[in-house]
Amino acid sequence: MASKAITNGIGVQVEDTKICVVMVGLPARGKSFIAQKAQRYLQWLSIPAQVFNVGNYRRSDAPQPTADFFDMNNTEGERKRRAAAEAAVADMLAWLRSGGVVGILDATNSTKERRKWVLDTCNGHGVEVLFVESKCDDEDLIMANVRDVKTTSPDYKGQDPEKAAQDFRNRIKMYEKIYETIGGDDSEEDEYTYLKLMDVSKQVIINRIQDYLQSRVVYYLMNLHIRPRSIWLSRDDRPLTVWTSTLKRTIATSRFLPSHYNQLQWKALDELDSGVCDGLTYQEIKDRYPDDFAARDEDKYNYRYRGGESYRDVVIRLEPIIMEVERGEDILIVTHQAVLRCIYAYFMKKDHTRSPWMNVPLHTLIKLTPKAYGTVEERWEANIPAVSTWRAKGSTAKHENPTPGSL
Amino acid sequence: MDTLLTAEIAANAPRYRRKSSTFIDAIHDVPEDQDMAPAQLYSTMSGRLFHSGRIAIVMVGLPARGKTHICVSMARYLQWLGVKTRIFHLGDYRRATVGPGGTVPEDYFFPNASPQSIILRQKILKKCREDIYAWLNHENGQVAIYDAVNPVASGRRSLAKEFAKHDVQTLFIESFVDDERILLENARNVKISSPDFAGMDPDKAAELYLKRITMKIPMFETMDEKELNFIKMINAGSKFFYNNVSFNYLSHRIVFYLTNLHIKSRTTFFARAGTTTEDEESYKSDAPLSEQGKAYARKMAETLTKHREQEAAEQGKPLRPLSVWTSTRRKTVQTAEVFGEKGYKVRQRSQMSQINPGACERLSERMIRQIYAEEVEKHDLDPYHHRYPRAESYHDLAVRLEPIILELEREQNDLLIIAHESVLRVLYAYLMHCSTMDIPILKFPRDEIIEIIPAAYQNEAKRIHIPGLESSIVPGSPDDIKIPVTVQSIPPSGQASGEASGVTSGITSGQLSPIAGGLGSPAEPATERPPEKVINKAKDMVADKVDDED
Repeated sequence: MASKAITNGIGVQVEDTKICVVMVGLPARGKSFIAQKAQRYLQWLSIPAQVFNVGNYRRSDAPQPTADFFDMNNTEGERKRRAAAEAAVADMLAWLRSGGVVGILDATNSTKERRKWVLDTCNGHGVEVLFVESKCDDEDLIMANVRDVKTTSPDYKGQDPEKAAQDFRNRIKMYEKIYETIGGDDSEEDEYTYLKLMDVSKQVIINRIQDYLQSRVVYYLMNLHIRPRSIWLSRDDRPLTVWTSTLKRTIATSRFLPSHYNQLQWKALDELDSGVCDGLTYQEIKDRYPDDFAARDEDKYNYRYRGGESYRDVVIRLEPIIMEVERGEDILIVTHQAVLRCIYAYFMKKDHTRSPWMNVPLHTLIKLTPKAYGTVEERWEANIPAVSTWRAKGSTAKHENPTPGSL
Repeated sequence: MDTLLTAEIAANAPRYRRKSSTFIDAIHDVPEDQDMAPAQLYSTMSGRLFHSGRIAIVMVGLPARGKTHICVSMARYLQWLGVKTRIFHLGDYRRATVGPGGTVPEDYFFPNASPQSIILRQKILKKCREDIYAWLNHENGQVAIYDAVNPVASGRRSLAKEFAKHDVQTLFIESFVDDERILLENARNVKISSPDFAGMDPDKAAELYLKRITMKIPMFETMDEKELNFIKMINAGSKFFYNNVSFNYLSHRIVFYLTNLHIKSRTTFFARAGTTTEDEESYKSDAPLSEQGKAYARKMAETLTKHREQEAAEQGKPLRPLSVWTSTRRKTVQTAEVFGEKGYKVRQRSQMSQINPGACERLSERMIRQIYAEEVEKHDLDPYHHRYPRAESYHDLAVRLEPIILELEREQNDLLIIAHESVLRVLYAYLMHCSTMDIPILKFPRDEIIEIIPAAYQNEAKRIHIPGLESSIVPGSPDDIKIPVTVQSIPPSGQASGEASGVTSGITSGQLSPIAGGLGSPAEPATERPPEKVINKAKDMVADKVDDED
């Protein structure tokens, strides 16, 4: 994945595509969730991506407004919301100029007029626009999301949950009055590049994809599982699917799980191949391949073992795994340290300088639950003593204990 | 075996063709080994990928909607990813059944067809589906692409049910076109060589042909079956609609690919970069072109320009626009400068840098054998996947080139790719479907431009000789990694000489020079300079299919 502008030494710049992904949709349709996910996925693939949430800009001006702030006849509210959108777009364009590749504008963008303004502004700065609309009329789904938002959105922090939910529903009604879906009816918008996800991706329209990067973003978003059952609600009565690598130790680890759990083995979950260093301790590697040992400490993410793999290689082969996790039901993954680091880095947005150094302790169950504004993590330790294989940068300690917060 | 099969059908039908040469697009060949997946991300015990189970991709759409093109491109991409895919063109079965020169009855596609027509139709369908099940059940196939019109909803519903009974998931892909310009263009491209329309104005012929389709297949229902998995590709990919009941990873991956596909006919050219100032070329130094290299760049540009003008004149068509892609390596950028000066659009693609030679950089073959004796042994066993220390394997390169593959499909202009031989090998292998055993030894001598001409059924490769080059710069990369050529891969000298084609699968580069990067063209004997145009029989195959209504 080429990303940053690269010069080749003779002054010619590699042509770069810059994209603004513009979210479209009523409140409580999972826009922020999609935006966050897209950012995380692109960053994981080393493509600089950033969400610009118009609500955050508005909050600096109007921290906890009531529903009538969003009434289109409220000129003061209208002015403030317009100013917030302008500030967010300006910041996004500045960020794209400074090396960003995919800017994600997270707002309702619910009218044709507003969308045209965003499109013209971006195109004026040489930035392509991909609209992503989440359209949904499923009441259960919307209500599930309302419940989720009222407990996680800063707009309702510290408020009575029932009142908050009521106010949020009123806000949605304000938007419904002016909401126009994208494209159709021979409108100008038929020429726009857009992705329309209807009823949580049961039906999808993809319109006028212009280049590879757009197709890549669309591909990922289509894989996103945005159904309430597995994402917005956490239920515990469903059987778990268990994924292991093809190596004996992970298969053996999962042998006592209930037999009705479906178990799958993935070659893609096999441990990072350390090539000639396979089976050596860190001290032995340092003794036999001192240059390699130093090089690996220098850039652990890109370092590739002689005859083996780098973390970057592992990320590439994990792509189908990530896509399946995104689409799928509740899943238990039993795999190895480096692979877990890569998967964990994806969900917890860890960058490349830190993710290869994370401590993933043995005999510990980690539960990650994706939410609209981030991923919630829980851990259970089995209390079985084990030798830590973690080591800090620069050291070779075999039985080092990670310092608190190194994760 | 079906006695109705003629020799011609045997030669054309996917089940009967065997690989003959890397110069022929092998997309319809039946591979004898597992070496056809250049960018496979991982492998499983079953040989099936993504835990997706078995899938039937069922095409839907009237003739002249680009179905065959979509099938073939999709198969190319899926096989590139390592998914075992085979196309079943119902037309092949119909032709086999009615025999050479035979035609189906007038009412063959009518909803109220005569009993005889219905029996014939069912017989043809049965044979085709038996082959599909045989491939999925007994030959470990994963994706069967069923290329037929499938015009009515009731037929599609029962088809999905039938596949489900065999534990096969169904994904329908409809190519829906209501843009008259695209319809006419498709009809012109595919049907122009039919004798029925000889001497006719191409536009009139296309219109007549489309009218015939409507008469022959009066009933067509576009997909709207809410309970089925389907992708509707509208007007050659300007819009997609999909109905997702139970899409899996592979389905999404297919949509991803299709969003990059178009149906415009355009040509891809491959050329090498010029030679550089450094004697012993270094991967790291990124040296500029030498005087000799600059002279090469001019001659290559001249030859290509002349060739394109000539071809356009022969076809009586205006010259298509040309884009040029290079890597970010200095020598490829400078080789393209001539084109830039002439006003062509030149793009640099960082993913197209040559394969990283790692620790083997600047080492002679002898040195490599000495220092990395063990690695050489491993390399001999699997030259495609093996990495020398710090180096990239061809597999790494193929995975890195995936964005380029998709942009290659996306490009609408004619395209010239100027890149290192290692990159050309992998891109050529994608377009011509070469096996991973062949890829590391494909040859791109500097005095040839390779032209890939797309056709709906399969691609054609052609070489254009660049005259007047000094022989010293012709051989394969002097800057190539000096990876030893395995002894086993060189057949006893003389064995393959004189066999310009017809070398069977596996190593086809019979006369490979023992010098790494020796003479020769993509896996063809080096000693013989083949005629300027080496073309396979794709045109004839298409001509054979012109009257084909699915």
